[in-house]
Amino acid sequence: MIPWSASIRVHWTTHRPAAPRQRRLHLWVPLFLVWLLLLPLVLILFPFVALACIFVRINALRLYATAWSVLTSLRHTFVEVHSPAASVRVHLA
Amino acid sequence: MNDDRKSILEMLAAGKITTDEAERLLTALDPKPASPATDTPDAYASAFTSAQGRSKPPKYLRVLVEADESTTGLRGGPTTVNVRVPMQLLRAGVRLAGLIPPQAHDQLDEAFSKHGVPVTLSQIKPENLEELIDHLGDLTVDVDGKDENKTRVRVFCE
Repeated sequence: MIPWSASIRVHWTTHRPAAPRQRRLHLWVPLFLVWLLLLPLVLILFPFVALACIFVRINALRLYATAWSVLTSLRHTFVEVHSPAASVRVHLA
Repeated sequence: MNDDRKSILEMLAAGKITTDEAERLLTALDPKPASPATDTPDAYASAFTSAQGRSKPPKYLRVLVEADESTTGLRGGPTTVNVRVPMQLLRAGVRLAGLIPPQAHDQLDEAFSKHGVPVTLSQIKPENLEELIDHLGDLTVDVDGKDENKTRVRVFCE
């Protein structure tokens, strides 16, 4: 299953001498809309990618299948980096 | 309270790991009658492996890194990295590496070896892919820095 949404959380502190402030940014990105928007572009690019595959001697079908498997396996990926200055968390669901 | 236990509780308090993960890690640290010494890397690795219960194949590769201020140069506390990658993504990545044209293999192998990664891409083939992933399931890497350089890296499957 391809990831349907991504939640992105960024926390950072502004270093103003007078008053340092904690800033927060929480984003929920509906990836299913992104996939829908990208679909026409991907369909247009399909034949060009196939041509390029012939030139570099790669099986185009294998390439499509692998690209699809990369996309579908991205779900449940979680990355979090936390430092004193800022923290970032990305979760694909 | 030893340092490992303390760091797990700190990570739980900071919300970096869930209660289930903390419980599993704490269980892994408990000395067991069969393997009383968990101070050695081998014993620690086996404790991790047994705690995760290998009845099911591992679903995720976890990488936990904790570096203190002296390593990062950032004041105010340690810097932590917590990454969870689905094993399925690793599988797809290896398959993707198999698609790299043969003429590019030599250049990539040379670049890898230049950066201290002795990997030969031509050896990664779809037929030994499953074997590679299966062996990753038993992987546990636990690196602790010296006293003055408190950097900890943990790589394990769950």
